[in-house]
Amino acid sequence: MNTTSSPITVLFAGLPVSSDNFLPGISTVALVQTNARLMIFDTGPYAYRPILQGRLRKLGIDPGKVDTVILSHVHWDTAANADLFPNATVVLHEKELAYADASDSHDDETPAYVGRALRRLKLKPLSGEPELCSGVRVIELPGHTPGSIGLMVGNELLAGDALSCAMNAAAGEVRYLPSKNSSACGSLQKALASASVIYPGHDRPFRVGPPITYLEDYAIRIRFFTDPTGPDEEIRVGSFAAKSFASWPTD
Amino acid sequence: MKIDLLIPGLPAKADHFLFGICSLLLIRTAGRTILFDTGPFRIRQTLIRALKELGLAPAGVDTIFLTHLHWDHVENLDLFPHAEVLTPRTEFEYAAAPRPNDWGTPPYVREILRDMHVTLLPDQEQEIFPGVKTLLLPGHSVGLQGLVIDTGDACAVLASDALWSARDATRGVPDVAFFDPAKAQSSLDKALAAGDLFYPGHDRPFRLKNGVVQYLTQYRYELSFPFQPLGQSFGLGISTERNMSVENL
Repeated sequence: MNTTSSPITVLFAGLPVSSDNFLPGISTVALVQTNARLMIFDTGPYAYRPILQGRLRKLGIDPGKVDTVILSHVHWDTAANADLFPNATVVLHEKELAYADASDSHDDETPAYVGRALRRLKLKPLSGEPELCSGVRVIELPGHTPGSIGLMVGNELLAGDALSCAMNAAAGEVRYLPSKNSSACGSLQKALASASVIYPGHDRPFRVGPPITYLEDYAIRIRFFTDPTGPDEEIRVGSFAAKSFASWPTD
Repeated sequence: MKIDLLIPGLPAKADHFLFGICSLLLIRTAGRTILFDTGPFRIRQTLIRALKELGLAPAGVDTIFLTHLHWDHVENLDLFPHAEVLTPRTEFEYAAAPRPNDWGTPPYVREILRDMHVTLLPDQEQEIFPGVKTLLLPGHSVGLQGLVIDTGDACAVLASDALWSARDATRGVPDVAFFDPAKAQSSLDKALAAGDLFYPGHDRPFRLKNGVVQYLTQYRYELSFPFQPLGQSFGLGISTERNMSVENL
């Protein structure tokens, strides 16, 4: 975790994983806490739901106290849990809401029912780059979707999928999750020029640098079985800070 | 009467997300093309590809049998706006206001079903098409229903999550008794006694020979974890194939 006094707490660090036969959809979910406000930036895929509830509980966060949910965009892996926060106003770009409503023109990342699901909630569509509270401002980053937005928190940026991972930042172009929309590359450049620390939509936070430096490690564990009478197999994948071999593996 | 396995269920869990990859089946009988459950959004393109391999576009599916209204079984319903959706009345009514601690049933699932041609299945077992009977299997969810199908050479039990994986069969205890554990236990017992070929919710189809599981198919998934920003990636495979070659990863 980030040890500075950033108002941002990562609930789920995204990962730019890809697979042959399913979409991992491992997206970033973050909490933004200021003196007056309690906000959630993105809500992940439905597959996060019980784990998200558990992580909030561990942090002592009552979902009913969250006053604002900001949706960077309405893809299946970012907007599926916005309903978990019963008293929150859900902020999204007006172009994104129009996109969510237009279920006929959807791409492969947006279910046709997302607009109807969102319309049950207290929505606040916006345009431009309003300040939500002191030091917290919306930034327009269209391209990945018509109304993609990010959130500037001081000089840190929650970027959503306009800047989905550090590889895209290093390449200066949209390699992971490419978009047909020509404004995607401009939004990537705008994101990089706006902040010193970026929380990508599908990666760990990094310092823009140069050089680009990740702020956190990650680890993910997958359990499955092939023999129903046998034990679980467990795979652990991660990126871990260098440690001395003297104490490993006992630590 | 033909049952095709479109996607085998995957008995996997992660500490970061739920897989939710459930068994998706295609039943063709009596002039009907029936999709058994629709899966989570993340396998949408795989489902479309699997249908295509059988020569079908989504529009070729005219009927959907929806066992229960958990997220990982309903998220692709919108691919089939013209299909008749058969789903238990108990599930449909419950979904108007799911229990606050029921994270399996999306509170907006009725929005997913809105404007669809929904036919509600009563709380009683019946033959819905010749040789296709419903099986009441509550417990994993409030009113889950499966199917028993006489294929000619087997009596197939399409149990969905009442039989989460083959492990439920070897242990005799339901692994994911989500809603009502006592009912889930009797439903598991009932499903295992209802036939000789089993399609679990989150595992491959299997037969039981003297209590030993004999799987009928394999599965294989590949994952690529990039270690950025330099661009190297780490390949990882999950497979039941013994001869999986490492070079392909």
